Amino acid sequence: MSEPRTVIVTGASRGIGLAIASTLAAEGFRVVAVARRSSEAFEAAATAAPAGSMHFMACDLGRTDALQPLVRSVRVEHGPIYGLVNNAAIGTPGLLATMPDHAVSDLVHLNTLAPMLLTKYVVRGMMASGSGRIVNVSSIIAFTGYNALSVYAATKASMIGFTRSLSREVGRLGVTVNAVAPGFIETALTEGMDESERERIAKRSALRRLADPDDVANAVAYLVSDKARNVTGTVLTVDAGSTA
Amino acid sequence: MTMRSTIVAEIEAITRDHDKTMPPLTDDMVLMDTEFDSLCFALLVARMEDHLGVDPFGTMEVADLPVTLGDLVALYDRAAVANAA
Repeated sequence: MSEPRTVIVTGASRGIGLAIASTLAAEGFRVVAVARRSSEAFEAAATAAPAGSMHFMACDLGRTDALQPLVRSVRVEHGPIYGLVNNAAIGTPGLLATMPDHAVSDLVHLNTLAPMLLTKYVVRGMMASGSGRIVNVSSIIAFTGYNALSVYAATKASMIGFTRSLSREVGRLGVTVNAVAPGFIETALTEGMDESERERIAKRSALRRLADPDDVANAVAYLVSDKARNVTGTVLTVDAGSTA
Repeated sequence: MTMRSTIVAEIEAITRDHDKTMPPLTDDMVLMDTEFDSLCFALLVARMEDHLGVDPFGTMEVADLPVTLGDLVALYDRAAVANAA
């Protein structure tokens, strides 16, 4: 049996990231989950997953000087990196006119700069080995817009531009780069939204419901899989038809 | 292997894999005048990082970019020394 291929999933201690990590582990990948700290939910998922398929590595992705050492550590401990899922993000809401400068800066730093730099260090190994998968988690907010999420929306739109151009850069070396754009998903990130708002969004979607983290995880798992070998530079929307 | 021979071996491997034709790899060869394009260069940086564990391009200014093969070898020599210190 061949050695499982290693995939890094950022922000994998909870929510969509944890669902992605669990799904990829179940699909036979060796997942290295990266987040500032582990969680009970992650530990429970790792225990339930196939033996040795889910590993945790603590890293504050906002510390960009830690990213290159992180990539080196993953390669030393888990071998060549086949896949990278840039999922970690913050969703700080706020009206732009009154948002503190540091909140704007933090959003751009963690949601845009950190994944770009992490990708830079990971993609080198993929280029050298002639294969790899990068999946960037964007959001439907990148193209629909939403009140009080302008900065968040900008960071998520940046991931789509990044995806399309990088796919052109590394395509001829066998590396695919895609994005998924989840709609409103039931996670801690959307807990701040009140119940009536959630119901309104669900009612407006084609399928009359919200997508859940497993739906996003399955989309990511497809893009990481061999089945998606001819899919690159695209955005896969998972929103139960809310933007249909 | 010396730094120069490592770099030359990688350039030869990359150009062979990507069907590029190169002039003789002398120290005064100007990299930009050859078929060794930006993608080849990115591959070289990736492979050299594997060998040495250093990436001298991470913090460099554009003005410092190596022009000739000799500049490139000197750059990696300095980076390896700095990394070992």
